[in-house]
Amino acid sequence: MHIHDYEKLWLALSLIMIVGFIATVTYGAVGAGIEMIDDSGDTVDPNALGDHPEFGDPGVEQVGPNEYDVHVIARQFVFQPDPIVVPANSTVTFYVTSADVTHGFEIVGTNANAMVIPGEVAELTVEVNEPNEYGIICHEYCGSGHHDMEGLLRVVPEDEYDGGDQ
Amino acid sequence: MSGGPSSIEERTSSVSQPEPSVSAPPDQTEQVRALTHEEFDPKGTLALILLYFVILAVMWAFMYFVEFLGNDLVVVG
Repeated sequence: MHIHDYEKLWLALSLIMIVGFIATVTYGAVGAGIEMIDDSGDTVDPNALGDHPEFGDPGVEQVGPNEYDVHVIARQFVFQPDPIVVPANSTVTFYVTSADVTHGFEIVGTNANAMVIPGEVAELTVEVNEPNEYGIICHEYCGSGHHDMEGLLRVVPEDEYDGGDQ
Repeated sequence: MSGGPSSIEERTSSVSQPEPSVSAPPDQTEQVRALTHEEFDPKGTLALILLYFVILAVMWAFMYFVEFLGNDLVVVG
């Protein structure tokens, strides 16, 4: 079979492009350290979150020099705690679970977003840099008040952070 | 005479036929030129495909490295 030179050229270009797509995503995972949110988080009893050692009193907790854990409960139609306050230039791990139906947890305008399933804990770690305010929305339809379900993430300067809900 | 009676006959017969419509496609039956496989070089198509390739590559790089990796709060764990 004879293949025209031009046809060989654009077959080669399409293969290069596919390899390039895979290479950039591999770079993101290996070089830039991008992670996918998976099912490695714990499971909880959604009907007994009040008895849970962490979700019983959801909030921000310092776990290292610049590391913070935030336990968040999504329920119809609020996020607890609200607002979430963390200091700038820190590593923040969110543990999000639902007390009733499936919700979403999206820090608006960023790459941090997860599905929140009753009984499952979605675990996501992000680096926060500059002081800023981010909205949090539920992006999984959760009932009649879904459109009002929002929260706030405040990243405050380190010297203004006083270690808790503000 | 090189013309001969046959060519005169052709001319008269074409005159006697009704004029073709102006919207009729031009008769190209006699314009036949055989191209070998390598002589057919669709340069315009090649240029178009190269342009699409460049657009796709630039848009992918922009989307991944600027819009995605450059965005705040990248999930790292």
